[in-house]
Amino acid sequence: MIQLILFLGVGVLLFASLFLLMRQKPRSEGGAEELCDAREALDSLQVDLLPPMLVRRIFAKEDLDFVRSAAPRDVCDAFIEDRKRIAIAWAAGLSQQVINLQRFHRGSARHYAQLSFRAEIELALDFAVLRAACRMLELTLRARGPYGAAVMVSTATGVATRVAAVSEQSLAFLRTAAMTTSASPVAERERRG
Amino acid sequence: MIIPMKTATKRLDVTSASADLENKTLAQFSRAIDRLIYLASTRDYNTGLYYHDGLASRYSADAASEALALCHQEVFQQLLDCRLSDLVDQMEGYISTAHTSPKEFITVWRGIEPYRITVPVNTDPVARELFASNIKIALAILEARLKRRPEEGSASSRPQ
Repeated sequence: MIQLILFLGVGVLLFASLFLLMRQKPRSEGGAEELCDAREALDSLQVDLLPPMLVRRIFAKEDLDFVRSAAPRDVCDAFIEDRKRIAIAWAAGLSQQVINLQRFHRGSARHYAQLSFRAEIELALDFAVLRAACRMLELTLRARGPYGAAVMVSTATGVATRVAAVSEQSLAFLRTAAMTTSASPVAERERRG
Repeated sequence: MIIPMKTATKRLDVTSASADLENKTLAQFSRAIDRLIYLASTRDYNTGLYYHDGLASRYSADAASEALALCHQEVFQQLLDCRLSDLVDQMEGYISTAHTSPKEFITVWRGIEPYRITVPVNTDPVARELFASNIKIALAILEARLKRRPEEGSASSRPQ
């Protein structure tokens, strides 16, 4: 009799657990805000920080050679100081946006993108390499200036471009909404009403 | 993907207005720096919106504003992408058409830095700083050239 009551008790508990689990809403990992932050980070990487022309201009040796040939020493020093400051700001921006993207991939990307296990492992490795490369790049820029870090710049931008391409696949569905709106001042005004 | 009809029509208007602007107004300027300064001058400092009566009458005020914003961003990008030596040449050309002496021009531009307000609104801070630095260095190089040839710096081209 006691055994029967125990079995019935366990059964009722199991049913109750199942019922509660079925009624529970799916976990809302990665809300709209998280998605928007990830999209912003990706746009910032692709549009503001990674375009090859911008990177080339910040680190262009030909500009340094030109200034050396056309300007006095103090102007040349000011130019190198300016370029160093800009290069460090660029590397810091790259690093920050990579951290933002990594947060998205750690937290909620798997709920939106059907990445294979292998792709996720590769992405995790890329992020690890990229974080280390960004840190090294910042240190090198501080120590040796913008013209002593060509290899590091090339490595960091190469890996960042690859990571951005994978992230783009994960966030591709957000593009539809973005294409129907515009970042122009008029669209901005319309959005604000 | 379905794009609403109104949006598609507006986009078409903006594209036509941009082409119109490039072919008629901007084609009159041979240098990108002149185009940048012209386009920045069509923007309201308080609202960030662009105005062009001729373009607005042919299309719509909104399409004209977006076309001007689009061209402004493109021209800014062109200047950001160009070599420092090219920018110095462009600045030298621009100064030669300004109605003031090169020396005075350089003093004023270094003092009040008007080039900072020629940057499009949504420009990334790194690009903004790169542009400002390039102009600053270009002015310094032109000033150094003037010091080597002082007679050019004092020769005012101001209309009498």
